[in-house]
Amino acid sequence: MQELLNTVTLGSIYLLFALGMALAWSTIGILNFAHGAIFVFAAFSAHFISEQVALPMPVLILISILVGAVLSALTQWLAFEQILKRSTNHRSAELRVLIGGIGVAAIPIAIVDKATASAPFGFSNSTYKTEVYEFLGLRMTNTSLIVIVTGVGIAVALTLWLRASRQGLGLRAIGVDSETASLMGVNRTAMAIGTMAIAGGLAGLAGSLQVFQLQAMGVGTGDQLLIKAFAMIVLGGLGSMAGVILGAFALAGAETLIFAANLGTWVDAVSFGLIFIVLLLRPQGIFGRQEVRRT
Amino acid sequence: MIAWYTTNAVVLQATMTTLLLALSIQLPLRMGVFSFAGVGCFGIGGYTAAILYAKFDVDTWTAVALGTLLAGLLCYLLGLIIHKLSGLYLGMATVAFTLIIAVVATNGGSLTGGASGIFGALGGITNLHVFLLLALVIVGLAISEYGRFGRRIDTVREDPELASALGINVARYRKLVFLASGLIGGLAGAVTTLLRSTITPAEINFHMVVMALTVIIIGGSSSWLGALIGAIVITWLPTVLGFVADWEAIIYGFLVALAAIFLPSGVLGLAKNLIHRWRTRRGTAPDAATTPGGEPGAPEPERSLASTQGGTL
Repeated sequence: MQELLNTVTLGSIYLLFALGMALAWSTIGILNFAHGAIFVFAAFSAHFISEQVALPMPVLILISILVGAVLSALTQWLAFEQILKRSTNHRSAELRVLIGGIGVAAIPIAIVDKATASAPFGFSNSTYKTEVYEFLGLRMTNTSLIVIVTGVGIAVALTLWLRASRQGLGLRAIGVDSETASLMGVNRTAMAIGTMAIAGGLAGLAGSLQVFQLQAMGVGTGDQLLIKAFAMIVLGGLGSMAGVILGAFALAGAETLIFAANLGTWVDAVSFGLIFIVLLLRPQGIFGRQEVRRT
Repeated sequence: MIAWYTTNAVVLQATMTTLLLALSIQLPLRMGVFSFAGVGCFGIGGYTAAILYAKFDVDTWTAVALGTLLAGLLCYLLGLIIHKLSGLYLGMATVAFTLIIAVVATNGGSLTGGASGIFGALGGITNLHVFLLLALVIVGLAISEYGRFGRRIDTVREDPELASALGINVARYRKLVFLASGLIGGLAGAVTTLLRSTITPAEINFHMVVMALTVIIIGGSSSWLGALIGAIVITWLPTVLGFVADWEAIIYGFLVALAAIFLPSGVLGLAKNLIHRWRTRRGTAPDAATTPGGEPGAPEPERSLASTQGGTL
């Protein structure tokens, strides 16, 4: 039972991170490789400010969300939009967006690395205090309660918004055929920047929650999480938000089991192996309907 | 000259090994296969050579050869499995492959030395040896860039459907490029490890993928010459400009992002464009008045072909 609780907590953080990535990838077609760097940098910004003044938890989380959203929207506006404008075919644009993302990601990561001298950082100066509840023999902190409620709540809200709202319809239309969608009155550029801002905000939220949950964060966390999020999205099926939710909890469950079996150093192999198996056996993922394009 | 060489031998060595690694990523990219498996093969080649040399007393060149072959073989098997995947999916599968190699190396126990890696595998390799091996690889790659074979590879990259309509076995090309990339990556790993005497799992990480990609993107992905330009920029910039060393990662990040936006074919593509423009301007001016020797008139159609090729990438 305790393992199940840990799985849900870990899965909720994974979920928040992967949701933003999946949203941008499945609608505006941008696999943002800087997503992990935004996650780390947003959490670091909150840490940096909390070093100066002691702030309560909601303010720190808000700072992270804002920094993440601004950074992500800027990346979209200054890098990805420019690449899309300048490339002729879809395939080369995809690769250039990926490479551009890798380049952009190096910048905030290098700044954080320099500022922290590669040491993990945390919110030790925050006014937030962790409390432990005991319930039917289960140990649970107030942090993990917040993490679970936020993660699941936002995932459900985002799924419903994408399905039911008018903007959600517009976004999904861009995902199917961006040219026709813009003829139907969807403002693609504004939508794209807005989507990336939401994605970045979610990354920032995941970042600060992860720091509250684990007490500290290393600079390399972002890259690992990026590959894991890719595994979750591929497992669930690109284009399906329910798939991302399933993918996040499945991966978290598998990793918790590995830890419980005392095989901690193998934990990263799970997500990487999962990518392989899914891509080979069912490339469209569990809930994916559309075939992966093959050459 | 000799004094210059002795002071810069280490940087020269780094340039050559970086170039080898970059070439192993660039070759599949030239064929439209977005594979980072070369970095994983660097790890396989490096670990195999180091283990054979340090723990089984195999001599240097046998260790290098076995490391290279094993990396090539494993990369080919990987290619057999994943060559049908497209674009990003293939790219991420190869990143996963690379990171799995690092996890296996961490968990290899006494054979791979765990997280601290292998020490003391200093083989008898000199800079001349590296230079000769590099020259060999470059000659092979240069052959693949010219003539019929070069055009076939370009077609496989630009339009796989057209290529198979022309009778090119696209799947075979894509599988074989994994073998070639694995061999070059394995060679790079084996040589680098036995030169430096150590290898750790922490080296085979995402950072190395980024570095290899930086070299290719800055220089240009269409030719080995581009990788050479990129490798020189990456290894010599910190020695020429002192402040670069402090802000290395930030500057490379900017360079990669800028190159991805403005210079998709790298410095080499820019240079080719400028040369082409200069030539056509010089070529057309006397062409209208007097044509001495008829030399500028003849290669006209070839030039226009080159300009359209430069434009698509």
